[in-house]
Amino acid sequence: MSVLIIVFLTAVAALFSGVFEKGKLARYIGILGLMIALVVSFFPQAEFLNQYKAMYNYSDNAALFTKISLVTTLLLFFLGGFAFSNHRSHQSELYALMLFALCGGITIFGFQNLVTLFIGIEILSIPLYVMAGANKTDLRSNEASIKYFLMGAFATGFLLFGIAFIYGSTGSFDLMNIQDFSIAHPGNIMFTIGVIMILCAMSFKVALAPFHMWSPDVYYGSPSLITAFMASVVKISGFFALFKMMSIGFVGVTEQWIDILGVFVIITLLLANVMGLAQTNAKRMLAYSSVSHAGYIGLIFFGMNAMSSYTLAFYLFAYSLATVGVFMCLIYVEKIKREASYEAFKGLAKSEPLLAVVTAISLLSMAGIPLTAGFMGKFSLFAQALGNDDNVGIVLVAVLGSAISIAYYLRLIIAMFFFKETTFKTAEKATITYNIVAVFVIASLVVFGVFPDLFAKVFAFAG
Amino acid sequence: MSYLLLTLLLLPLVGSGIVFTWKNASSKYVALAIALVQMLLTFYVAADFDFAPTVDSVLQYEINYPWSQFIKSTLHFGIDGMSLLLLLLTNILMPIIILSSFNENVSYRNTFYGLILLMQFGLIGVFTSLDGLLFYIFWEVTLIPIWFIAALWGQENKRFEFTTKFFVYTFVGSLFMLAGLIYVGIHSASFALTDLYNANLGDTQQVVVFWMIFFAFAVKLPVFPFHTWQPDTYTYSPTQGSMLLSGIMLKMAIYGVLRYLLPITPSAILGISGQIVIILAIVGIVHGALIAIIQTDMKRIIAYSSFSHVGLMVAGIFASAVVTLRGTFNVEGAEGALVQTFAHGINVVGLFYCCDILYKRFKSRDIRQMGGLAKVAPKFAVLFLIIILGSMGVPLTNGFIGEFILIKSIFSFNVLATVIAGLTVILCAVYLLRFYGKAMFGKGDDAVLSTARDLSAVEFSVLASIAVFVIVMGIFPQPIIDMVGSSVQFIYKSLVS
Repeated sequence: MSVLIIVFLTAVAALFSGVFEKGKLARYIGILGLMIALVVSFFPQAEFLNQYKAMYNYSDNAALFTKISLVTTLLLFFLGGFAFSNHRSHQSELYALMLFALCGGITIFGFQNLVTLFIGIEILSIPLYVMAGANKTDLRSNEASIKYFLMGAFATGFLLFGIAFIYGSTGSFDLMNIQDFSIAHPGNIMFTIGVIMILCAMSFKVALAPFHMWSPDVYYGSPSLITAFMASVVKISGFFALFKMMSIGFVGVTEQWIDILGVFVIITLLLANVMGLAQTNAKRMLAYSSVSHAGYIGLIFFGMNAMSSYTLAFYLFAYSLATVGVFMCLIYVEKIKREASYEAFKGLAKSEPLLAVVTAISLLSMAGIPLTAGFMGKFSLFAQALGNDDNVGIVLVAVLGSAISIAYYLRLIIAMFFFKETTFKTAEKATITYNIVAVFVIASLVVFGVFPDLFAKVFAFAG
Repeated sequence: MSYLLLTLLLLPLVGSGIVFTWKNASSKYVALAIALVQMLLTFYVAADFDFAPTVDSVLQYEINYPWSQFIKSTLHFGIDGMSLLLLLLTNILMPIIILSSFNENVSYRNTFYGLILLMQFGLIGVFTSLDGLLFYIFWEVTLIPIWFIAALWGQENKRFEFTTKFFVYTFVGSLFMLAGLIYVGIHSASFALTDLYNANLGDTQQVVVFWMIFFAFAVKLPVFPFHTWQPDTYTYSPTQGSMLLSGIMLKMAIYGVLRYLLPITPSAILGISGQIVIILAIVGIVHGALIAIIQTDMKRIIAYSSFSHVGLMVAGIFASAVVTLRGTFNVEGAEGALVQTFAHGINVVGLFYCCDILYKRFKSRDIRQMGGLAKVAPKFAVLFLIIILGSMGVPLTNGFIGEFILIKSIFSFNVLATVIAGLTVILCAVYLLRFYGKAMFGKGDDAVLSTARDLSAVEFSVLASIAVFVIVMGIFPQPIIDMVGSSVQFIYKSLVS
C-alpha cells in the first residue's frame, strides 16, 4: 500500500513540476520516486490500513509483480531524457501520466475485490488513451489515441457487464466469495456468462486475438517510449489481472473457459507471428511480436501448478526487459532517421555497437534462444503446459509460432549487423544514461538466463 | 569434480572473450594458440582415459553441480568413449580450421576468430553434457556463431537468404526437440540423463517424442527430405564455415541420436518409425550421390557427398538398433557410424580446404573451368588425391573401415537395403574421381596455370596433417573402435533392458 502511495505522490509532484519547468524536473522526480518505491517494495508493508484488506491486499504475488513493473518503469524513465528531448511541450504531464498508469497497475496487483479490479484497470487505461495521442501534430498518433479509447471503452463495457453478471449470481464482489461460489455452483449459466464476458474484456486489454486488432495501430502510432510502456508495464498488469481472476476467482469453472482461452491462444500464436513476418516496419513488427507474446503467456493457464504465478512473473519480466532493450534502439533510430523501417536500422552496429548488441540480445531473448532470460521463461511455460498430456497440441502450436517468429527477429539483426551505412556516423550519439540502461538490460537478460534461480532470490522472497 | 574437463569447457569461452577484445591484426595467433592448448589438453585426457571401464562406470571426469530448482536441471558433465572421440575430433579440427584461414585477408579478424572459439565452447558443451536441457542449450549456443560466420563472411550477396533459411530450419528443428525433451523431462521429474532414460513412456508417447526429437537431428544431419538448406549454406559460407558445419556440427546430431534418441524411445524405433528413418536415410544416400554426380560447383559436390555419407551413418545406427531390439545384440552400426564420424569429419574438412585452394588458383568454383593443375602443383595433387581416396573409402584409408562396418550392420537388417546403400561406394567414386580428374588433369587454361603456384607453407601443413590422419587411421582403426566400444555397448544394452 505504501508503494502505491509513494508512486501516486510522485506522480502528483511530477505533474505540478510542469508549472515551473518543461520536463527535466518531472523526469528526475519520477526517477527518485520510483527508486524510493522500489526500495520500499522490498520491505514488508505496514498493516496500518487493515480495513482495506478486503479491497486491496499487498500479498507476496502483488509484491513480486509490483517490483518488476517498478523496475521496468524506472528503466523507461531513464530513457525518457533522450526519447522526449525534441518533444516541444507537455513532457512533465507525460511522465506524470505514466506514473498514474503505474498506480493503476499496482492497484490491480493487489485486488481482492472486483471493484478494485475495475478501478485499477481504469486508472491504468485512461492515462494511456491520452499518452497514445501525445504527438499532437502526428495524425497516426491521433488515430492511435482514438482507436485505443474506443476499443478500451468497449472492453470496459464488457468488463462492467461481466462484473454485473458475476454480482448478480454470487451477490458479492469479493474474489474469495466468487471462488467459493464457482466451486459450489459450477453449472450456473449467469455466472458462466459473466466469466466469459470478463475473459473477453481482459483479452482486449492484453491484446489476445481475436481482440488484438487495435494493438498494431496503437503501438505504431504512439510515441515509441509510450509504446514500450504499453508493451511492458501494461502487459504485466493486464496479464496479472487475467491470471488472478481466472486462476483464483474462476478456478471452479475452469472447464468452461479453458477451451475458449485455448482457441484465443492458438489464434494469437498463429496470426500474430504470420502477420509479424509480413511487416516491413520494425515498430509494427514489434507490435505483432507483442501480440504473439500474449499468446505464449496465455500458455500459463494450461497445466497450472503452484509455481505458475512465479513463472508468469519471470516470463513477463524477461519480456519487459527485452522490450526495453529493443525499444531503446528503436527510439534512437527513429530520432535520427525519422522512421523505423528495417532499412533504417542498417549499419547501426558500426556506429552504436552497444545499442546493436542490446537489441540483438533482446530479440534473441524474445525468440527464446538459450542463455537468455527469454529462453528460461519460454521453457518454464512449455514445461508447465506439458505437465498434462492434453496440452501437447497447444504447445506444438506455440513451438511453431516461435519458429516463425525467429525469421522476423533475424531480419532486424541482419539489418543492424550485416550492412554498412554512413548516415549514422555524423548522427547524435546515445547519452550516458542510455548506455547504462543498455548494460543493465544485457546483464539482466544473460544473468537470469544462466542462473534462473537468482530471480527468486532477488525479487520473490523479500517483502 | 574434474578440473580438467572444466578447463576444456571454459577455455574456449574465455579464449573467445580474449580474442573478441584483442587487436585485430594478431588475433589469429591468439586464437590458434588457444586452440592448440585445447588440443594438447584433449590429448592428455585421451592418454589418461581408462579405455576398458566396467559397464556401470563408462563415465569419467564427471562434474555434477546443482543448477536450478526452477528448471529441474543440473550442471552435469562427463566423458565416455563416445564423447572423447567427438572431443578429439573437435579439438583436432579446430586448430586446422583456424590455420586454414591464415592466408586469407579476413575482415574483422577478432570477431571472426572469437566466433569460432565460441562455437568450440558450444560444441564441447554438446559433447560432454549429461543433462537433457544442458544439451539443448549448448546445441543452440553453437547455432548463433555459425550463423554469424556464414552470414558475415559468406561469399555472395545471396548469403542472407540462404543463411536465414539455414537458421530458421535448424531453429524449428531444435524447438521441436526442446518440446520433446521437456515432455520426457516432465514424465521423469528431472532432465538428468539417467532419469530421461528411465522415463517409462507409453508406446504412443514414445512415437510422438521420437519424431519431435528426431526432427532436430534430421535437419542438422541432414536426412532426406530435410536437407534443402544444406547445399546452399555450404556453398555460400566461407570455407571455415563450411568446415565447421560439415566437419563438426553435423556430428552433433549423430551424437545426439546415439546419446538421447535411441535410449529414450526404443519402442518407437522397434516400431514403424525406426524403419521409416532407415528408408529415408537410404533414399538420401542414393539421392545425394546422384545429385552430386551432375553438379558442376565443387562445393555443392562436397555438400551432396556429405549428405549421402551421413545417410549411411544414420541407416547403420538405426539398423543396428532395430536388430538389437529384435533380439540379436548388434552394435556394429553405432561403432561404424562413430568411426565414420571421425573419418568423415577429417576428410570433409580436407576436401573443403582443397576446394578453397582450387578456388584461389582458378578463381571459380565451376569444375568445368578447371584443369591441368597437377602439372604445376604436384604436392597438392598428391595430398588432394589422398584425401579424395579417403572420402571414397578405399581400403587402407580412414573412410574404408567405417563404411565397411556400416554396410555390414545394414546387412544384418536387410539385404536389399544393403545393396542400395552399398551403391554409395560406387557413386562416390564416380563423382569424386570426376571432380579430381577435371581439376587436376585434362586441358587447363594456360594463362591460369602459368600463374598458379604449388602449396604455400600454411596450405601444405594443413593438408599434410589431414593426409597423415587419413592414412594412419586407415591402417590402425582399432584404437577408435576400442575407444567407443564400451560406451556404445552401454547404450545399446540400455535399449533392451
